[in-house]
Amino acid sequence: MRVEELLEHGFEALSLPDGGREIDGVYIGDLLSWVMGRAQMDNAWITIMNNVNVIAVATLADTSCVILAEDVEMPEELVETAREKGVNVLRSSQPIFETAVKLAGLIA
Amino acid sequence: MKELSLNILDVAENSVKAGASLTQILLTEQDGTLTLEIVDDGCGMDEDVVRSVIDPFYTTRTTRKVGMGIPLLKLACEQTGGSLAISSVTEEADPVAHGTHVTATFDMNHIDFTPLGDVSSTVLTLIQGHPDRDFMFRHRLQGRDVELDTRELREVLEDVPLNSYDVMEWIRGNLQEQYEELSDRDTRDGED
Repeated sequence: MRVEELLEHGFEALSLPDGGREIDGVYIGDLLSWVMGRAQMDNAWITIMNNVNVIAVATLADTSCVILAEDVEMPEELVETAREKGVNVLRSSQPIFETAVKLAGLIA
Repeated sequence: MKELSLNILDVAENSVKAGASLTQILLTEQDGTLTLEIVDDGCGMDEDVVRSVIDPFYTTRTTRKVGMGIPLLKLACEQTGGSLAISSVTEEADPVAHGTHVTATFDMNHIDFTPLGDVSSTVLTLIQGHPDRDFMFRHRLQGRDVELDTRELREVLEDVPLNSYDVMEWIRGNLQEQYEELSDRDTRDGED
């Protein structure tokens, strides 16, 4: 499934510079150093963290998109950074578990 | 990082890479606040480089090449309501008193405070990996110190390398004893 297809399923796009990217698996975590070493390339990464390091870690781990759960806000300058760096950032109004369950159904 | 001690190791390794002959790791715990200082006499950084180590996306920085040590340390202290500051003097600016001083403060009672973890192991790892460099470690807990200075050890040991097995074991035991002495005294104070 492509990242942009998530928009048809209730996900909101904050930054979508590379919407055609394929999602392969999901990783969940908020401890950035941990995620950096464990998220796999092309994973969709669900987190509630919203600082500049999230964009850096998404770049390093080469995830297909960041999904902010629970309607977490991302400051406009960070959204701008994400666009510049080609990092897809989406948002879900649901908690992490429900977001993951929904994704599991979609990418199966 | 799951423990601050791993973050400290990461940042202190930057000091070694900057050519520091002496790297000081100073921890001060006082009334619920932890102050971490990493002070080196390495080549120093100009203003632009300082900004680039703090911000993972500053101008032309290529994130893949530069570590996340400082950005993650900054996050760890800010999420407790603390802050991080870096001051640095380049070798060009001052051929004698150059180096970098990183200061991070933490509110240890904040729910998002990252546990300090095993700092003794951090110190041992640094000495083991860089026996030709000097390290000064001081952990001040409510005004009492746990301390280790490789310059003092070097004077006593003369030609014995600091990373030889016996020396490493001695350092490990010595730090452990110092920590135990502090906690014993705390227990006794509690009974008074």
